[in-house]
Amino acid sequence: MEKFNANIAEILEVDKVEMDDELSSFECWDSLTILSIIALSGENYNVTLSAAEVNNAKTVGGLKELIKSKMK
Amino acid sequence: MKSNFNPFTLEGKNFLITGAASGIGRATSIILSKLGAKLILADINQEGLVSTIKCCDSEAISLQIDLSDAASIKDKIFKAVSEFGKLHGIVHVAGKSYIAPLKSVTEEKCREVYSLNTYAAIELAKTFINRNVYAGERGSIVFISSVYGVVGSAANVAYAMSKSALHGITKSLAIELAGKNIRVNCVAPGFVKTNMMDSASSMFDSNYAETLNKLHPLGVGEPEDIAFSIAYLLSDAAKWVTGAILNVDGGFTAQ
Repeated sequence: MEKFNANIAEILEVDKVEMDDELSSFECWDSLTILSIIALSGENYNVTLSAAEVNNAKTVGGLKELIKSKMK
Repeated sequence: MKSNFNPFTLEGKNFLITGAASGIGRATSIILSKLGAKLILADINQEGLVSTIKCCDSEAISLQIDLSDAASIKDKIFKAVSEFGKLHGIVHVAGKSYIAPLKSVTEEKCREVYSLNTYAAIELAKTFINRNVYAGERGSIVFISSVYGVVGSAANVAYAMSKSALHGITKSLAIELAGKNIRVNCVAPGFVKTNMMDSASSMFDSNYAETLNKLHPLGVGEPEDIAFSIAYLLSDAAKWVTGAILNVDGGFTAQ
């Protein structure tokens, strides 16, 4: 998951992200951004996420752990 | 005396249906079989095809095929038809959705959606008109698009591209194939209760089901609602209908 941070930063429309950044604190955080994260997870990691799971992940680090935990 | 008048009958006709392993394709297969048609049921999912065949009232065979592999379509259909009999029509139901906002859209995924939803339709039509496949007399091709081939929605650019393209293909082929007495039409469904809808719903919040219902004045549909419209377009009752995009959407696009 070496490019995870860079990919998430691009989706969140910032230069870089930290693991404890709260997802909902980003200016662009909305349902379309959640869909972008779902698409990234499916295409790059073959992990299917729901909108509820993404919301419950709370932080960038939480999201990374969620995806890692669902990778086969 | 009871009349035998039934212009909607499909007795004596053979059709090929793609996406027949589940959802709208399965419902269509069952309805067409009840109307007397014999069927070649095509899908990549052989197990699903076997389940669909068990639900059919008339003769039906399975054809396992990856429709996104355009180069294999002609040979596989030729072989199936040589064993089964020539066709009076085809229905292209198979398709995939791709929900992704613009910034996540990739060329690779767009091509993947396009090859199954759109180019396979062209290849199927091309195969159908071959003298080894088309039974002659009257032919009918039905494509399945979507309300999202008619109206816009966010995070849907690739799917909308693939489905609206079917509308152009429908109208062009309607003109091109009229001389062969082959009609070409398209059904544009609203949301119906299928696995594809369930997997799309999981990407949205818990109010999504309610939101979807509100988009349809008659509520979300059943796969059979689409199957009945396909049956009509295949039947001789629609013998003067070609190049039509039939919205079957519970009023979604009437608003």
